[in-house]
Amino acid sequence: MADPQPPQEALRIGQQDEAGLVARARSGDRAAFGVLVQRYATAARRVARAVLGDPDDADDAAQDGLLSALVKLDQYDPNRPFGPWLLRIVANAATDRRRRRRVRRAEPLDPGLVAGGTRPDTTAERRALRQRLREALAALPERRRLALVLFDVEGYSHAEIAAILGIPEGTVRSEVFHARRLLRPLLADWKEEG
Amino acid sequence: MTSSLPFHHRPDPELGEALRGALDPGDSAAFVARVLARAEQIQAGSWDIVLARWARVGVAAAALVALAAGYAVGRTAAATLGMRPSVADALLAPSPQAPEAEVVLASLIGN
Repeated sequence: MADPQPPQEALRIGQQDEAGLVARARSGDRAAFGVLVQRYATAARRVARAVLGDPDDADDAAQDGLLSALVKLDQYDPNRPFGPWLLRIVANAATDRRRRRRVRRAEPLDPGLVAGGTRPDTTAERRALRQRLREALAALPERRRLALVLFDVEGYSHAEIAAILGIPEGTVRSEVFHARRLLRPLLADWKEEG
Repeated sequence: MTSSLPFHHRPDPELGEALRGALDPGDSAAFVARVLARAEQIQAGSWDIVLARWARVGVAAAALVALAAGYAVGRTAAATLGMRPSVADALLAPSPQAPEAEVVLASLIGN
């Protein structure tokens, strides 16, 4: 698939030196900021895309979020994990962008999507499955979408996602549950037909 | 398959992988380069702002110093002039002594 590196591992690698990197970036060390950007670029772009849908818009929002984080580094509490703090800023940047640009609300999910489509046993069909997943994601409420992506794609814990989204941990569990209930059948149908 | 249960409280690797494919952001290097280039611009912009702020303070300080120096020079000159009697002072002020010859000559020449 697109990103062979397990997301949780990617985010956790070198976390012990993360506080040092942030401290260096805060004091104006561009190389340290570059390392942080490289480390979180993929997660930031995926989170932004989960909010916005459009990949170009998502990249713009992810960039806004990363640069906003650079400006706000003085506000970061080094006793807390950096990733959730950063992704919260990125998610907010994406939400702001969506509001500003009045991106079309997602169309209600076609029941046919949940019921599954043709078996995606070719590259084209695999692409079609991804498209169906994107459409299914777009049909979810934004918070539910983010909770699912942060949990199943980025590998954050419920507590960390609660901190990112500013909602109770129980609500995160509920959002992930409802999101999976809608998306899981797409994969199940694909496998059954395979 | 336990991982497919929606209420399972651990990440679902299968769904996660499928979603990663669906949300694949593409070329990461180009994006990182773009962000870092923009960060450089922001830093340069912030330095411009800092320098401009200092420049304004510098100009204001220089103006104050120039005013103070002008005032001081003016005071000194006035004090220096004030120590020598003017023509009018010499003519108008009653003096028990005879007027100085040069003052009288100056008044005549001036008239």
